[in-house]
Amino acid sequence: MPAAEDTVKSSWADEVEEVEGGNLPPPVEKNDGTSKTITEYSMNDEGKKVKIISYYRIEKHRVARTIAERKTWRKYGLSKNDKPGPNPATTITAEDVFMHFLSNKDEEQNEQEEIKKKLLDQQKGQVKCRLCKEDHWTKQCPYKDKLEPLRSSLLGEEAAEEETPAQATPAEKPKIGGVTQGKYIPPSMRDGGSKKGESMMSSRGRDETATVRVTNLSENTREQDLQDLFRPFGDISRIFLAKDKNTGQSKGFAFINFKRREDAAKAIQVLNGYGYDHLILSVEWAKPSGTQ
Amino acid sequence: MKPIMLQGHERSITQIKFNREGDLLFSASKDPKPNCWYSINGERLGTYDGHSGAVWSIDVKWDSTLFVTGSADQSMRIWDIETGTSLSNLEMKTSVRGVNFSYSGTMIAYTTDKMMGHNSELNIIDVRDPKDVDPTPIMKTQVTPNNAKALSVLWGPLDEYVITGHEDGCIIKWDMRTGKKIEIGQEHTKQIKDMQLSHDGLMLITASKDTTARLWDVGTLECLKMYKTDRPVNSAAITPLLDTYPHVVLGGGQEAMDVTTTSSRIGKFDARFFHLVFEEEFARVKGHFGPINSIAFHPNGKGYASGGEDGYVRVHVFDDAYYQFKFDF
Repeated sequence: MPAAEDTVKSSWADEVEEVEGGNLPPPVEKNDGTSKTITEYSMNDEGKKVKIISYYRIEKHRVARTIAERKTWRKYGLSKNDKPGPNPATTITAEDVFMHFLSNKDEEQNEQEEIKKKLLDQQKGQVKCRLCKEDHWTKQCPYKDKLEPLRSSLLGEEAAEEETPAQATPAEKPKIGGVTQGKYIPPSMRDGGSKKGESMMSSRGRDETATVRVTNLSENTREQDLQDLFRPFGDISRIFLAKDKNTGQSKGFAFINFKRREDAAKAIQVLNGYGYDHLILSVEWAKPSGTQ
Repeated sequence: MKPIMLQGHERSITQIKFNREGDLLFSASKDPKPNCWYSINGERLGTYDGHSGAVWSIDVKWDSTLFVTGSADQSMRIWDIETGTSLSNLEMKTSVRGVNFSYSGTMIAYTTDKMMGHNSELNIIDVRDPKDVDPTPIMKTQVTPNNAKALSVLWGPLDEYVITGHEDGCIIKWDMRTGKKIEIGQEHTKQIKDMQLSHDGLMLITASKDTTARLWDVGTLECLKMYKTDRPVNSAAITPLLDTYPHVVLGGGQEAMDVTTTSSRIGKFDARFFHLVFEEEFARVKGHFGPINSIAFHPNGKGYASGGEDGYVRVHVFDDAYYQFKFDF
C-alpha cells in the first residue's frame, strides 16, 4: 500500500551530475522488511528529470489458502498490463474521514424546530380569519359555528356601508396589482414598491448572532489553524477566512460562526488579546452584514 | 479512517458486492465493464469486458469461481473470476434487473424488466455447468401485470424460495417449485432499491425510495424494524457482527436528478449507521459527492464499502472509535 508518494524536482546539483552522467540513474529499491522505498527517475513532459520516491508499508496477513491463491491470479481486462500492487490510476488513498457520532441529537432537533418556527412566523400576518381576525384561515376558525351566522346577519348592513366610502374616494391608493381597476400600475407604485428588497444574505437565513470577527491574523494563517484555535470553545458551523485572490494568503481577518452564542462569547473572552503567531489577536462580535 | 478510493468506472455505480471471504470486491456501474478488486489494498484484479449496456446487478458464487452480471443490453453473462472470461452469454428479451446465486451456487434467479410488450418475469436457471447453460428457465413466473415490476431478487434459506422487491414497494416470497406467491410484505410506499440478507440469512433489509429502510424476518416476511431518514435510501446492509455491534448502515441521498432543483442544504450523501434494535441513528461518514447507490459490509464486519452516483467506490476500515462507541440506553 503506498503510504505516501511525492515528486521531488531534482536540485541543480543533481542536474549537473546527471548531465555529466548522461542517462537517468537506475531505480533504487530499499527494503527493510517492514517498509519499502523505491526511488525512480523519469523525464516529464517538459523534458525535465523527475525523481519519484514511493513509500510502501509492508503488511503480512495470514489468510486462508484459497485467498492466498486468489492473490496470485494474473490480472485481466483493463488491468492486464498493470504491475503488481495497486495502480495509482485506479486506486487512490483518499483523505482521512472521521465517523461523525451523533451525540448531540437534541441540538439538531432544536435547530429544525427553530427553522419551523421561523417559517411559521413568516406566515403570520399573511392569513387572517374573516370572522375572528386571528392567524388562520376562515375555514379553520374555531368560532366558525358561532360567528358565521352572526356575521352573515350583519353582512347586509355592512355591505351597504362599505359601498359609500369606496365611491367617495376613488383616487385612493390602488391595491396590489390594481386588478380591480384594470389599470397598469408600475411596480414602483405598487404596494410594497417603496420597500427595500430583501438581501440575498438574510434570505439565506444564516444566523449571524453567534459570529465572531477575528482580526490581526498573520498572513500564513489557514482555515485549519482557525479550526484548531476555535474548536475547543464549541461547535463551529462555518469559518470564513478572507484570502487574497491571487496569492491565496490570508488578508488578516476571518469570521467564525459558532452554533451557540455562549460559545462565541467564551471564545471572545479568552482569545481577545491572545498572542498568536507573533501577533496579538483581536476577537469581537461581528457586525451583521449589511449594516456596515 | 483512510478510505481507499477505487476509480474504475466511467459512470455511476449500480451495485457492489464482496465475495464470501471478503478478499474480493466486485463493482458494477452504468458503464458496461464490471470490475473486480482486492479489498485489502484496492488493487484491481481486472475488468469483465463484453456487455454493451449498463450493468444493473451482480452476484458472486460462494466459492468465488463464478460471477454473474445482469445488464440493460438484454443479456446475462456468467464469468470466470480467475481469468475474467465470459463463460456463457444468455440473451433475453428485455433487460435484466436483479440476479442472485442460490446458496449452493447451482441456480441463478433473475428478474427482467417490463419493456416493449414483454412482462416483467422472475426466472430461475440451472448453472451447474457454467460453460453450457440451458437458457430455458427451470422455473418461470410472470410478475406483471398482477404485480409491479420486480427489481431485486434474493434466495431464501435452503434455496426453498425466492424473494423479490418491487417497484411499488412490496416484497413477495415465491415458492420456486409452483411459481406461486407465498407471502407479500407490503410496508414500503415507494420502490425497493436494494435488498440484502443478514449474514445468517434469517433477516433481510430493504432500502426504499420512501426514505426508510426496513428489517424483515425472512421466514414470515414480518417487518421487524424501520430505519427512518429524510432522503431516499438506495442501499442498506446488516453487519455480520450482530452480537457485538448490532448495526445497520444505510446509503442514499437526494436523487441525482433533484439535486439542482431543490433548495435544501447540500450534502446528506453520508453513509448513516443505525442501531439495529433501537432504530436510532448514531453515526455518519461523509465522502461521496453524490448519492450512495450501493453499500456493503465487509464479511468480517470490520469495514464497509460504498459505491456512489459519483462513480467511485470507497472502501473503509473502521477505526477504534467505531468499536469504542457505546450506545446511550
